[in-house]
Amino acid sequence: MNIRRNNTVRWRLLCAAVVMGVATAGKVGLGAALVVNPVEINFDHPDSSAQLLVGRILSGETVVDRTHEVQFQSSDPAVAIVNRRGVVMPRGDGHTHIVVVDGEDRVEIPVRVARYASPPLVSFRDEVLPVLNKAGCMSSSCHGKQGGQNGFQLSVFNFDPVGDYEAIVKGARGRRVAIARPLDSLFLRKAAGIVPHSGGPRIHPGSAGYNLIARWIREGVSYEGVSPAPVVRIEIEPADVVLSFKQTQQLRVTAVDRNGGRRCVTVDAVYESNVPQVASVEETGRVDSSDVPGEAAVLVKYMGHVSVCRVTVPQPGVAFQRPPENGFVDKLVWDKLQRLGIAASEPADDGMFLRRVYLDTIGTLPTASEARAYLEDTAENKRGLLVDRLLEREEYAVYWAMRWADILKVDSVRIGAQKAVAINRWLRQQLSANVPYDQFVRNILTAKGTIAGESAVPVYQALGEELGPSVSQLFLGVRIGCAKCHQHPSERWNPRDFYAFGGFFTGVATQGPNLVPVAGKDLENQFLKTGEKETVPAAALGAEPADFSNTQDRREVLVDWMTAPDNPMFARLIVNRLWAHYFGRGLFVDIDDQRETNPPTNEPLLDALAAHLRDLDYDLKALTRTMLLSGAYALSSVPNEANVRDQQNYSHASYKPMPAEVLLDAICQVTRVPEKFNGWPVGYRAIQLWDNHVPSYFFDIFGRPARLSVCECERGTEPSIAQALYVMNSPEFARKIGHRHGFARSLANSQRTPQQIITEVFLSTLSRFPSVAEQESLLPAFEQQDRRMATEDVLWTLLNSKRFLYVH
Amino acid sequence: MSKASSRIGYCDGISRRRAIKIGGTGVLGGLSLPHLLAMAEQAPLATPAKAKACIFLLLEGGPSHIDMWDLKPNAPSEIRGPFNPIATNVPGTQIGELMPRCAQVTDKFTMLRSATLGDGAHQTGVHWLLTGYPPNFADGQAKKTPANELYPSLGSVISRELGPRGAVPPYICVPNQSVAGGPGFYGPSYAPFVIETDPVEPDFEVRDLNLAKTAIDEKRFNRRRRMLQQIDRLGSKGLLSGGKDSPGLSGRSAIMSTYYEKAFSMVTSPQAKKAFNIHEEPEALRERYGYHQLGQCALLARRLVEAGCRFISVEHGSWDTHFDNFTGHEVLAPSADSALAALVTDLDERGMLDDTLVVMVGEMGRTPKINKDAGRDHHILQTAIFAGGGVKRGALIGGSDATASAPTTPPMTNQSFLGTIFHLMGIDYNKLAYTDVGRPVSIVNGGQVFEELLA
Repeated sequence: MNIRRNNTVRWRLLCAAVVMGVATAGKVGLGAALVVNPVEINFDHPDSSAQLLVGRILSGETVVDRTHEVQFQSSDPAVAIVNRRGVVMPRGDGHTHIVVVDGEDRVEIPVRVARYASPPLVSFRDEVLPVLNKAGCMSSSCHGKQGGQNGFQLSVFNFDPVGDYEAIVKGARGRRVAIARPLDSLFLRKAAGIVPHSGGPRIHPGSAGYNLIARWIREGVSYEGVSPAPVVRIEIEPADVVLSFKQTQQLRVTAVDRNGGRRCVTVDAVYESNVPQVASVEETGRVDSSDVPGEAAVLVKYMGHVSVCRVTVPQPGVAFQRPPENGFVDKLVWDKLQRLGIAASEPADDGMFLRRVYLDTIGTLPTASEARAYLEDTAENKRGLLVDRLLEREEYAVYWAMRWADILKVDSVRIGAQKAVAINRWLRQQLSANVPYDQFVRNILTAKGTIAGESAVPVYQALGEELGPSVSQLFLGVRIGCAKCHQHPSERWNPRDFYAFGGFFTGVATQGPNLVPVAGKDLENQFLKTGEKETVPAAALGAEPADFSNTQDRREVLVDWMTAPDNPMFARLIVNRLWAHYFGRGLFVDIDDQRETNPPTNEPLLDALAAHLRDLDYDLKALTRTMLLSGAYALSSVPNEANVRDQQNYSHASYKPMPAEVLLDAICQVTRVPEKFNGWPVGYRAIQLWDNHVPSYFFDIFGRPARLSVCECERGTEPSIAQALYVMNSPEFARKIGHRHGFARSLANSQRTPQQIITEVFLSTLSRFPSVAEQESLLPAFEQQDRRMATEDVLWTLLNSKRFLYVH
Repeated sequence: MSKASSRIGYCDGISRRRAIKIGGTGVLGGLSLPHLLAMAEQAPLATPAKAKACIFLLLEGGPSHIDMWDLKPNAPSEIRGPFNPIATNVPGTQIGELMPRCAQVTDKFTMLRSATLGDGAHQTGVHWLLTGYPPNFADGQAKKTPANELYPSLGSVISRELGPRGAVPPYICVPNQSVAGGPGFYGPSYAPFVIETDPVEPDFEVRDLNLAKTAIDEKRFNRRRRMLQQIDRLGSKGLLSGGKDSPGLSGRSAIMSTYYEKAFSMVTSPQAKKAFNIHEEPEALRERYGYHQLGQCALLARRLVEAGCRFISVEHGSWDTHFDNFTGHEVLAPSADSALAALVTDLDERGMLDDTLVVMVGEMGRTPKINKDAGRDHHILQTAIFAGGGVKRGALIGGSDATASAPTTPPMTNQSFLGTIFHLMGIDYNKLAYTDVGRPVSIVNGGQVFEELLA
C-alpha cells in the first residue's frame, strides 16, 4: 500500500538525532547538547501532524526533556505551523524550517509539505473514527451506551465501524451531514459545541480533527477512503523514562503500518496513567511526575493498539542499603526498591512474624503458649520449621477451603446445603493432599460422575450455567465477560471470542444422577445484527479453533491449553492470587484482571514466580514456602520515613484486614468464650462453617462475601464505624470480655501480678511480650480500680488495638 | 429493645430480609478517611443546593394512589372503590378521605399524579427507584432478586457527593435497609448506617451506642479510650513509632483509627446521643407523628437532619394489597397520613422545611381495576409526594386519565425523579464514577430535572 501519510523520512532514535540535530549556534558543552527529534519532517497529507521532542543530554544516556521549555517558530507559516507544545502541522505545499530555541541554542528542523492541495480521500474507518474515539464520543457513558444518547447511537469502542458510519451518514434521515455545506453539518456543529450539545464541545473548530472531519464531509463521506495499510503496532518514545519530582516528559507515538510506513499519531492517541499519584498524563501526551516516588505505566491506545511507557520516579537522595537476600524473591524486590530509592523497613521481630504467618496460612491466631514457645526457641532455622509445621496443620486445609469456596461461588442458598457440604469436604481433601494446582483445576473443569458425591462435580455446577466468564476470570485473569456485548475496552477480545470460549462447555449433560460428557456444539454469536447468523468454532483465547478429534470431552482440550507451559496466564494468575494474599497487594490489581493495559508493578518478579511454580510442578505449598521464607515477607509493618507512602513495592509489610471468620475465631480464642452459631454445635469455628448464610451481625458488618461471583473483591475489606462500635461497645463483645469462665476472669482470679497479667494478654493477642513502655501505659488501670475491672480493661484495650484487628 | 419487626411479605414470595442478605455484603458503613480528607478540598457544588438533607419515606409494596391521592369518584364501581374524596386547605384540591391530616396541610406539600418510577415489580422496582438503573441479577434471573452490587443507591450517592455535616453518619436507614439501598460499586464506605431497631419501641435505642448496655460507666470508658490511644501509638520497641509526623499505624489500620475516633464520639458526644434519643420529644409531638413505625421513624429522621445527616431512608411495608386492598389501606394509610402531615408541619414550624426535601413514594402504585379478591394489583402509575427543599408548596402537578391508569401529562420518569432530587441537593447528576472493571457510570443515566416541580 502507499505510505500516503509518511510524514517522516528519517525517523531515528534519539542517539542518531544527536548527530543530526545538535545545536550549532550556542556555546553548549558536550555534557548538555540540545537534541531535537525528528531531524526532518515530510508531510504529504493536509491533516497530519508531527510531535517534536526536544531534550538535553546531561551525561551518558540521560536525556532531560525540554519540549515544554523551549520556543518553537516556523520560518514560513504558510507552509507549516507549530504550537508551543512542539506539534507541527502543514498549511500549504512547499519547504520551510521549524526553529527551536533554548537560551542561546538554536536548532533548525527542515519541513517539506507535499500534496496539500490534492490529498487522498479521507477514510471514515481509519481516520475519522480515531478522532471520535479520542473525543470520547463512543464511550459507554455517552453515545456508545445501549440506546445511545439523545437518539444518536454509536458502537462502544467503535466495535462496529459500519454501523457507526450508517448512524452518522444515514441516521436521523441524513440530517447529520450536509455535503454541500460541510461546516453546517449538524454532526460537526454538535461535536464542536456550536449548537447545544449535552456532551459539551468535544472537537474544537480549527483543530486537526475538526478539519479532517470537515474535509471528509466535503469529499462526500467516504467509508474507506483511499484505504491505507492497516496499522500493525504503535511505538512510544520514550518507552521507559526516569523522572525526578515535578518533572515533565513529552511522549511521541508513532503508528507503524503493515508496509513499514510510519506516521506520528501523538495527537490522536489516547493516554491514561495507571498511578496518577506518581505520574499523570494529559491528552496531549505530556507526562508530569508528582512528588511521590514510585512507578507508573502510561497506557497509550490508538486504533485498538496498546503500548506502555513506564515512568519511574525515584526517591531523591537515598543511599540504598540492600537488605540480606534470601533467594530470587528478595533479589527482585530489592532490585526494584533500589531503583526507586525506597528503603526497606527493618525485619519483623519474631512475635510479629509468628502472628502474621499463623493468620496468613491457617487463619488462626497463635495461642499464648505457642507464642511463648516460639519466642523462646533458639533454633537457627526456626522460621522454616514453623512454616513447615503450619502447612501440615489441619487448619491449613480448613482455611483455604473457605477461601476457595468464596471464589468458587459456593453459596449454600443457591446450590443447596447438601452440595455446599460436599464441596467443602472435597476442597479440604484436595488442599490437605496438596494436589498440584494444575491437577486441581483439571479436576474441577473436567468434573464428571455422580452429582451427589463429594467430588468436583458440584464445584463445576456451582460455577453456574455460563461457565466461560467465570473460568476465564478465575483461572486466567481474563474478563472475557466484558466481550459478551461489546469489544473489551482495553483488550482484543470481542463477542466472537466470548462465544468461541463458551463452546468448550457445551459437551456436558446431566444424565440421571451423573454429569457426563456428550457431543458438544459450537455456539452462535448472539451479538449480531438482526438477520445475521454466525456459528463460532470453539477456541481458546487468542488461539486457533480447537481440535476435538482425539477427545470425548471438549473441556480436556481447554485445560490442556490452559496448563500448557507456553500459556503465561495460568501460572501468573495463581501466583498473583497467593502473592496478594500474603503480601496484601497483588503484583497486578485487581488480582484477577490480567492484561497488557494493567501491567504488574514488578514484572520480573511475577515471571520468576510463575516459572518457579512450573518448576515445582504446581506445588502450591512449596510456592507458599518460597514466599513466606523470603526476607520481603518478613519485613516489619512499621514504615520508615522513606517508605511510608509506598503502597506497591513491598518495602514494608501491609496491614491486611482479617476475614470476618478469622477475626471472630481470634476473638473467641483470646476471650475463651466460643461463638454459638444457630444450628451448629458449640465449639465449631467460624472458618469451618460451610454455610455462608449462618445469621450473624458480626459477619454482616465485617464483610462476609455473598459468593455470587468469582471475584475475591466480594469480601468486604473496608473498615467502618459499625465495626468500631461493635468491638468497642457491643453487648455481645462485652459479654465475651467479662464472661465468668473467660480469659479476663481467670487471669484476675489467678495469683499473677499486674505485670504478668499484661504479659499474658499481650502473648494471647499480639503474640509477643509487651515493651516496658506498653507495660507502663497499662499498669495504672490496676491502681485506679479493682483487679477484675483492670484486667478486663487491659483485655478490651488489646482487642481493640489496631495491631490486633489486622494482620500485619 | 426488640428488633425492628416490619416483615414485609411480597406477592412474589421473597422476603425483604432475604433480599438484603443477598444484596449487601456490607450492610452498614460510614465514612472513609480518604473521603473525610477529600471533603476539605471539595469542589463547589454543581448547582446551588436548595436542600441540605432529604427524608425519603418509601412505602414498600406499592401504595394505592387511587385510594389515597388521586380518587376517581366518577369511575365505574369496579374501579373507584369505597373511599370518597375530601376537600383540602388548598382550594380546589381534593385527596382521599383516608388522608384527613394531610388534607389540613396540603398547602405545605406537592402532589405529582403522573409518576412512573419503577417497572411494576417489587424487587426490581425498588432497584429502579433507588439506583436509576436496570436491576442486575447476580445469577441469571432465576431467583428474581436483583443484586444491588453494581449500582449505588441515591443515599450512597448523596453520602459520597455531599459527605457528613455533623456528629452522625451522612446516610442512615431507619429501621432497616431497603432492597437496593446499598452502595453498589462505591463500596462499604458509602453504605448506610442502619439503625435496625424500631423507634416506636418504648426502649428504643441504637445498637452499640449505649454504654449502659455494657455496664461501663463513662469514666471507665474514657480511661479505656486513653489506654487504647496509647497502645495504638506505641510500636513494639516501646517507642512512638513512625516518626513524629506519621502515626504508628499505616494503611487500613490508620483508617480504622479514624473510624474509632468517629465511633468514640458517637458513643460519648452529646450531639449524637441526643440525635438518637427520641424519648426527648414531647409526648404531644410523638402523638402527632403517630405511635407507629412510620410516624416515629419520620420523627427520628427530623432529629437526624438536625444532627447533620444528609439522607434518611425510612422504609415501611407492607403495601402490597393484592387481597382486600380496602381494609388493608384503612389500616396502612393512617400511618402515612399522620407521619407525612406531622413531618411537614414540624419541619415548617422549625424553619427547616425550606432546606429539607421530603419525598414519599412507593416503588409503584396499584391497579385501578379491583380484582376478584377485592384487591388491587401492580400498576406503574402512582402519585409521588414532595415537600420542602426547593419544591413548590401546595401544588398539584400532572394528571391521570379518568381511571387513574395512565398519565395525561408528561410523566415523571425514574430519570427525572432522581435527577430532580440530585439537582435540588446540588449534585451534578451527569457526574461519572468508575466501576470495578472501569466502566464509566453516570449518577443518573439520562437524568433530567422535572422543572414544573421546582419552586
